[in-house]
Amino acid sequence: MAESYLPLLILIVLALGFGAVVLVLPALLGPREINKQKMQPYESGIIPFTSPRRRFPVKYYLVAMLFLVFDVEVIFLYPWAAVLRDMGVFALVAMAPFLLVLVLGFVYELKKGALHWR
Amino acid sequence: MPTLPVPTFTQVVFVLIAAFTVISGLGVVVARNLFHSALLLAATFFGVAGLYVMLEAEFLAVTQILIYVGAVATLITFAIMLTRGAMHGETNPLNRQWGKAALFAFLFLVGLLGYLGGIPWPAPFQAIQADEGLIARLGEQLVTRYMVSLEVMGLLLMVALVGAILLARDDKP
Amino acid sequence: MNALGLLLPELILLVGALLVFLLDVAYDTDRESGASYGLVSGLFLVVAFLAAFFQMSLEPQQAFMMDIDAFAAFIKMTVFAGMALVALAGGRYMNRRTYNQGEFWTFFLIVSLAMSILAGANNLVLIYITIELLSITSYMLAAFFRDELRSAEAGMKYFLYGSVASAVMLYGLSFIYGAVGSLDLREVAGFFVQPDLTEELRVAMIPATLLALAGFAFKASLAPFYQWAPDTYEGSPTPVTTYLSTASKAAAFAVMARFFVVGLSALDVEWVPILAGLSILTMTMGNLAALRQNNVKRLLAYSSVAHAGYILMGLVAVAANAASGMDGLNGVLLYLFAYLFTNVGAFVSLMAVEETTGSVEMEAFQGLIHRAPWLAGMFTLFLLSLAGIPATGGFLGKFFVFGAAVQHQYYWLVAIALVNAGIAAFYYLRIIRTMYFGSQEDAGSRLELPLGMQATLLICTLATLWIGLYPPQVLDWVNTASQQILTAVLF
Repeated sequence: MAESYLPLLILIVLALGFGAVVLVLPALLGPREINKQKMQPYESGIIPFTSPRRRFPVKYYLVAMLFLVFDVEVIFLYPWAAVLRDMGVFALVAMAPFLLVLVLGFVYELKKGALHWR
Repeated sequence: MPTLPVPTFTQVVFVLIAAFTVISGLGVVVARNLFHSALLLAATFFGVAGLYVMLEAEFLAVTQILIYVGAVATLITFAIMLTRGAMHGETNPLNRQWGKAALFAFLFLVGLLGYLGGIPWPAPFQAIQADEGLIARLGEQLVTRYMVSLEVMGLLLMVALVGAILLARDDKP
Repeated sequence: MNALGLLLPELILLVGALLVFLLDVAYDTDRESGASYGLVSGLFLVVAFLAAFFQMSLEPQQAFMMDIDAFAAFIKMTVFAGMALVALAGGRYMNRRTYNQGEFWTFFLIVSLAMSILAGANNLVLIYITIELLSITSYMLAAFFRDELRSAEAGMKYFLYGSVASAVMLYGLSFIYGAVGSLDLREVAGFFVQPDLTEELRVAMIPATLLALAGFAFKASLAPFYQWAPDTYEGSPTPVTTYLSTASKAAAFAVMARFFVVGLSALDVEWVPILAGLSILTMTMGNLAALRQNNVKRLLAYSSVAHAGYILMGLVAVAANAASGMDGLNGVLLYLFAYLFTNVGAFVSLMAVEETTGSVEMEAFQGLIHRAPWLAGMFTLFLLSLAGIPATGGFLGKFFVFGAAVQHQYYWLVAIALVNAGIAAFYYLRIIRTMYFGSQEDAGSRLELPLGMQATLLICTLATLWIGLYPPQVLDWVNTASQQILTAVLF
């Protein structure tokens, strides 16, 4: 029932509205003063010492890709979890190879140091 | 004097979500900055998830949010950040061919509309039984009828995992 | 559970792949472990081959969306034989060139597993997921020497073409599902034989079929989806090229056969002309491009494209009850079987030359007869078989495929194919001429071949001659296999 998603819709509208208010009100009410200090990128109070326009190392991408794999795995677990109680051992056994293969993959990932940040 | 039909609340919401999806989709292709395109793509994914909810395909909506908004959009963002200079300025190289692209996209749309509209699909407008057990039934099918597909999927994910580490690791053993 | 027993070949390969992977995770790999991984993989492939051989004699039945019939079993035998031979010949080649031997052999077995499932899959979801498994693993294997530019390029091109092709295929399959309301190939077939099927729906399946065909044609390297093939075949590690051009092609044709002959049998008026056009385009493009090649690996890649065109003729000319026993489908199977041994042999010969001279250009083959008379002799046999000279396996395959087309009175198709076979013979003979009549000055020293390659070459030679000279056993297999499919079809 799409109607049962009404609270979600209200939440989205509220969130967007709050964001809009927070952006618009200061622009209307707050004093504006532009100087060099204020236009600098904010680096937790430290003066930036390298250009932010550099290439990101490939390891970020690797982590994102590994995340994607396990994200897809989790999707398959949702419907399975919904029937696990009713189907009992059979569902558990049927899912076991799927999980085993991915756990093996995870062990490989650990062993090869793919999660080790260098 | 014919009275204008008053749209129902659901129709209004649908139009809003659809408009959001289409506009952000259009933004993806016309944005001058590749990074903006990526952010707009995430918005499009989000809108599509809303459409899935309207179609009462809830599992698909959850999948869309979790995988496309959550992971694929992140992956695309990282891919752009990996590319030197792609984050700044007018960087979308495909924008130079927008004329041809627009033409083909338009022709594709016309063709698709003709194709999908002109066919007497055997089961149009058939209401699906929307009940709480839909996801449970999906789970049941997954571990019985589609068991081999599920295990193949597991292997596929493992191969993707190992392959990603193999090809993207930046050190030599 | 009896149903699990029917999946024996797949289970064997799954256990093998996980075993190798587990060993690789558990132990720190050193340079020597590759040989034992290769040995384990080879053993599992041989056992899986035996299981498939056993399945040949089973009654046709179904288990987990897979058909367990003689057709699937024959394709599995073909695939496993090819993979085992590649392991035997190319294991040393790979183990010497990479540190990631455990991953290679795991992928190698998973690829075999994927092709094995594809041979029997009769559900569109399973077909799609398994094609993805096969493709994604193959992308990795093509790019396995990631530090070599050519290999990385090969993987990249394969991946870009492949992901687009499979997305398009999925779109087409979704239309079929939309029309039929079922993903099961038999139910799809049953839907289209209904008497009250509207003409619009029939016609609407043409675009859907074309889209689905894009994915299959990509895997079988049919024109116009073959552009990846030359670059990928040339850049990939040679053992990977070998299986991509043989076993992988066999699996792709198995899926196409099941999809068209079983699933869309009632729509044959629509798809036969499409496949006939693709067949002509594929063999012509492949042969014309092969004529101009000076790199033998690339030449064999284009020739492999052309062969896909000939094989497709068998599907075009498929017939439920053929008077002469050439029902098209058995021609496809026979061609795939003969082509597998011939082409594996040809690529292993190439690998042998590459191992010793470091080059696959035409010059490397000059005067090969003086350096390695046996190798040159066997390579000659493989090239003659590829050209379709009588008394070789390649001839018998062509004979059956062409014969089925003649029987359907597709004379124009046969004429074009014959012209193409003539063109092909020209460039195969060019290699042979180079081997025999090249200048003796730069002949260099004799080639020493490792034992695995010698054994593979010998097996391929014997198999090619066996199919060509004494085919009753093979013919019996392919006839059983094709009959089991065709008797169930509602033509």
